[in-house]
Amino acid sequence: MAARRALKAVLVDLSGTLHIEDIAIPGAQEALKRLRSAPVTIRFVTNTTKECKRTLLERLRRLQFDIREDEIFTSLTAARNLLELKNVRPMLLVDNSALPDFEGIATDSPNAVLIGLAPEHFNYQRMNQAFRLVLDGAPIIAIHKARYYKKKDGLALGPGPFVTALEYATDTKATVVGKPAKTFFLEALRGTGCCPEEAVMIGDDCRDDIGGAQDTGMLGILVKTGKYRAGDEAKINPAPHLTCASFPEAVDHILKNLL
Amino acid sequence: MASWTSGVRAVLLDVSGVLYDSGGPTGGTAIPGSIEAISRIRQVGLKLRFCTNESQATRAQFVRKLQKFGFNISEDEVTAPGPAARRLMLEQGLRPHLLVHDDLLPEFDSIDKSDPNCVVIGDAAENFSYQNVNRAFQVLLGLEKPVLISLGKGRYYKETDGLMLDVGAYMKALEYACDITAEVVGKPAKNFFLSALAELGVQPHEAVMVGDDVVNDIGGAQSCGIRGVLVRTGKYRPSDESHPEVKADGYVDNLAQAVDILLASRTTDQ
Repeated sequence: MAARRALKAVLVDLSGTLHIEDIAIPGAQEALKRLRSAPVTIRFVTNTTKECKRTLLERLRRLQFDIREDEIFTSLTAARNLLELKNVRPMLLVDNSALPDFEGIATDSPNAVLIGLAPEHFNYQRMNQAFRLVLDGAPIIAIHKARYYKKKDGLALGPGPFVTALEYATDTKATVVGKPAKTFFLEALRGTGCCPEEAVMIGDDCRDDIGGAQDTGMLGILVKTGKYRAGDEAKINPAPHLTCASFPEAVDHILKNLL
Repeated sequence: MASWTSGVRAVLLDVSGVLYDSGGPTGGTAIPGSIEAISRIRQVGLKLRFCTNESQATRAQFVRKLQKFGFNISEDEVTAPGPAARRLMLEQGLRPHLLVHDDLLPEFDSIDKSDPNCVVIGDAAENFSYQNVNRAFQVLLGLEKPVLISLGKGRYYKETDGLMLDVGAYMKALEYACDITAEVVGKPAKNFFLSALAELGVQPHEAVMVGDDVVNDIGGAQSCGIRGVLVRTGKYRPSDESHPEVKADGYVDNLAQAVDILLASRTTDQ
């Protein structure tokens, strides 16, 4: 692995790290301000499959986070980039609220399946439609493969299990565009002028945030908020660079030890 | 000449895709020649057992449906995952949360389902909504040691209007979500085939399994030493004949042809 260099970029996960639904993680806004006082580029990277950039930005601003739209990189953007690159017509198995990010993409007589978290589409009939397309040769493009996510009233299934269902039934592998795909982290860094050895990722998903980032050469800091469950840090090897209580502690660690 | 016929004393038959194709307003249609094929197997005195992963109905309902199509079949000739799972619940003190088809529920009528300590998943079809799969996930996550019991693990099956996702897809979804491995009751589990053979009192090398699922019927049977013959009906796809892991002992167009070959070999043997 390449040697570490001085830290220049910080990637920050959103849901579960800065906020849970409409509640900010305590102290997260002030911590972000402290981080901005350091000479680092910040990118907010999220595996959302539901919310277009505009919606994300509106929520973060409502929660008093100081964030610009061009600092956000989402898995929906990565998915759209791939659809255009492959020049396919997708069946959009995504939440209706994500559709604005796919405006202008042709979806008639589909020859690909794009799958995100879409509970209202994950019924037997729609899943069968997708299954039959894939069996006929359509590639599966998964926005991400998260197992579950945290809701106010507990954990709920993410898109990953449903992607896995289609993969198993058709004996194929999906192309995953969101975290933990390596290309996702590299795309997020594009434009920052930084290489992975100069970046750190902060998130609440041990495998997808931390494992994925560390596989590209970044450091990973796991926070015990959001979907974190006791023992998660043991799920990856090498272990996270650091596991700490929450985003503010992660920022303190960076300011004290990584600059 | 087909070696899969020599020394055969018993025939195990998959049902859906071999005897009939499910779906449509009547619940399905018999595959041509299969009703007569069953009668011919019986006439020559071969032992016969039906080995199905059907979990969309109780065994009793399922058999009644097949009888209506004209099949000579009785409930005590059928090895099915529902009754096997029921037995497992009783033996191991399991209290299931059921993610199954409504019509399978009566199979578990007498089983305690309060405060569940396992999830049983079957071919729930329309019941595979996000909400229902999520509920099963939450039950599993709430258990200290999550136990998932799956009635078969088929990828898909054929209905009259096309291929349909089978229980295996959703079993894999829950396995992935919870980082666990399900216990399969039904094909391709060895115990399932062996219990069918025990009912007939024959050894694995004396039996042949006829099915349309290359992995679960053929691969499953072969792993117990039973020969497996793949029919080109039901969910069969040409690529099944070049499967990377499973090579059937014989390939036939349909059950009728399998029986033709089997009976012809008996005449020449004698």
